[in-house]
Amino acid sequence: MSGADPPPGTATNPPAASRLIVDARGSWCPGPLMELVRVIREEPVGTEFELLSSDEGSRKDVPMWLEKAGHRLVEFRSDSGFDRYVVQKTHE
Amino acid sequence: MAKRVVVVGGGIGGTTVANRIRRALDAEVASGQVSIQLVDREGVHAYQPGYLMVVFEKMRPEETQRDESQLLHRSVQLVRAEVEKVDAAANKLLLKGGKELGYDLLVLSSGSVLHPELTPGFAEGAHSFYDLGNAKKLRAALHGFTGGRIVVSVAGMPYKCPVAPLEVTFMLDDFLRGRGIRDKCEIHYTYPIPKVFGIDTVAQPMTRLMGERGISIHVPFNVDKIDPAAKTIKAVEGDTLPYDLLIAIPAHRGADFVGASGLGDKGNWIPTDRYSLKAEGKENIFVLGDATNIPISKAGSTADYEAEVVTQNVASMVRGETPTARYEGRVYCWIMTGLSQATYIKFDYLHPPHPPTPSFAHYWNKTIYNRTYWDLTARALF
Repeated sequence: MSGADPPPGTATNPPAASRLIVDARGSWCPGPLMELVRVIREEPVGTEFELLSSDEGSRKDVPMWLEKAGHRLVEFRSDSGFDRYVVQKTHE
Repeated sequence: MAKRVVVVGGGIGGTTVANRIRRALDAEVASGQVSIQLVDREGVHAYQPGYLMVVFEKMRPEETQRDESQLLHRSVQLVRAEVEKVDAAANKLLLKGGKELGYDLLVLSSGSVLHPELTPGFAEGAHSFYDLGNAKKLRAALHGFTGGRIVVSVAGMPYKCPVAPLEVTFMLDDFLRGRGIRDKCEIHYTYPIPKVFGIDTVAQPMTRLMGERGISIHVPFNVDKIDPAAKTIKAVEGDTLPYDLLIAIPAHRGADFVGASGLGDKGNWIPTDRYSLKAEGKENIFVLGDATNIPISKAGSTADYEAEVVTQNVASMVRGETPTARYEGRVYCWIMTGLSQATYIKFDYLHPPHPPTPSFAHYWNKTIYNRTYWDLTARALF
């Protein structure tokens, strides 16, 4: 995970053409990771997702699930009041 | 010519929003300046949280159904028809059978549709409680259950009532204890993420309760397929669990007409502004309840709170004013933690839930809500 965060809005890694924004800020039920799991199951291999989460628990859950499921955490950034996770689906 | 407000869907969202709009525009409706129509395929309103109660004999099946015409104010016209398509460019609905229905303002509350067929083996191998017929079958199966391994699982996302897997698990534990066969049974709870619920403030106390009640936890567990012959359920993560009785939540999708109208995403959920509740890119279409793509609970209370916002915005637009009401993400759900105890979660976009210690008092509040739903909530009397 990235510790030194650029100012909000600074693009350190230009979005892939197929990157999908999953805005799960304020999603306490069922929760941001559930949203990420849902879209990963729906989209094709290679798709990048940008998950926005205001839930601090996601910092542990998202990497843990990605490791278990075998998908890739491309980038993590903490913005003002929420976190961004860029994730790539690597297999069906 | 009267301004035409058309609501699609006769569940909690559609019914309450139609009744609320009628009340907000009482004078305009009475004088014929505004008409309100509600389109529903069956004309029967289901109180879906009651299905879980039916499984455990807490409600009778007939208590979960009412004729929609009994619930709508007499000034709201019920149109029994199936929507085939929304022609947003022409401001009209195309109905099955060839009829058309024009609108000036449209509210889509078309809910979610169960799709068990999306999970191989589900229909043959799993019990469910997300419709009345299957709730009654599960009730009968539990009545005859004498012992064995029970697995609770979620076969697709999103699904409505996110706390339902927790509830059925805790109620099941209590039910088996009451029957004196808990020691002959194993209960296995699976969930698609690495904890028993989406966020820590709920997952932690629920995990603790499961530990106290001897419930085994298997996470993350995303259902790949069910083998009814072998009586196993397999996860995409690789784990396979055997079962004697499987209780699973089927996959959900938005209504078919949403896709046919080009209004939805891949799951037929309608992209919706999370604050104004307008369909994205549509100035005269509002969306509420399960039909939206907003990443919060698909639950009755969500639809009810959203209906308040849509009502205010529809009333403003009818009067030529700017629609300023905002949905702040309010949700309130009880969580049954046994047959006669419950807790609850209350939250909005900015404030996560903190469920209190389960108690009989919270269960009693839930019971009162169940009993007063038809006369207070559905009729939008408060």
